Amino acid sequence: MTRIVYRGLLWLHPSAFRRQFADEMLWIFDETHGTEAVTLLLSDVLISLARQWLLRSGAWKVAVAAAGGLIQLVLGGFGHMLVWRMHAVSRAGLDAGVDRLDLTRLIYIATGVLGGVMCSVIALTLWLRNFIGRRI
Amino acid sequence: MPEDYSSFLPLSPPAMHILLALASEDRHGYGIMQEVARESEGNYRIGPGTLYDNLQRLMGQGIVEAASTRARDDDPRRRYYRLTRFGRGLLTAEVERLDSVIRRARIHLRGNPRRAT
Repeated sequence: MTRIVYRGLLWLHPSAFRRQFADEMLWIFDETHGTEAVTLLLSDVLISLARQWLLRSGAWKVAVAAAGGLIQLVLGGFGHMLVWRMHAVSRAGLDAGVDRLDLTRLIYIATGVLGGVMCSVIALTLWLRNFIGRRI
Repeated sequence: MPEDYSSFLPLSPPAMHILLALASEDRHGYGIMQEVARESEGNYRIGPGTLYDNLQRLMGQGIVEAASTRARDDDPRRRYYRLTRFGRGLLTAEVERLDSVIRRARIHLRGNPRRAT
């Protein structure tokens, strides 16, 4: 049963790591005996899983960038609607159609968000490269 | 032209132990884990997750490489690893760095301790 769990956790690792090392890690599991040692291996593979996805795969950079983009979308959208409403109120009062977003404005917002995501990815990559450097 | 190891130093403890385990002979992953535990007299152990995470990086940096060494009755899942020439030079540089740190530490500790006022 524990072997199946261990194998499943190995399978959840990023594919490059799994292809390279999963067989060997499973072999080490097969060579290990005793409840305490097996428990240690299970905790080790859980930490490894988190480490590979969060630190090594780069998936977190995309997630952070997407979150940054969403924040920009929300803030930009609210700001845009607020300015637009104030402008509309000052010009013609509360007309019908004030809350309508036209296509041009949507394109502006989408372009801004896309640019924000790209800038975030580039900035995070450069920061990470400087932060970690080539230290082993 | 001599190699420049400065950007790789200091080594992290797991990387240092892995390189030390590979310094004497080619080993498979489980052999590295056992050698690390043996050399540290059981005080330092690394699990397979830490081991292969470090091996992946060390191989990517050209410090360790896969070796073709294999006994006839070996499990085919086993793979052997060895230090590259660069890896051996890096380990030597790290040992020299640690040696100089220890020498300086001994000099400071041997001196008369001054009482803080």
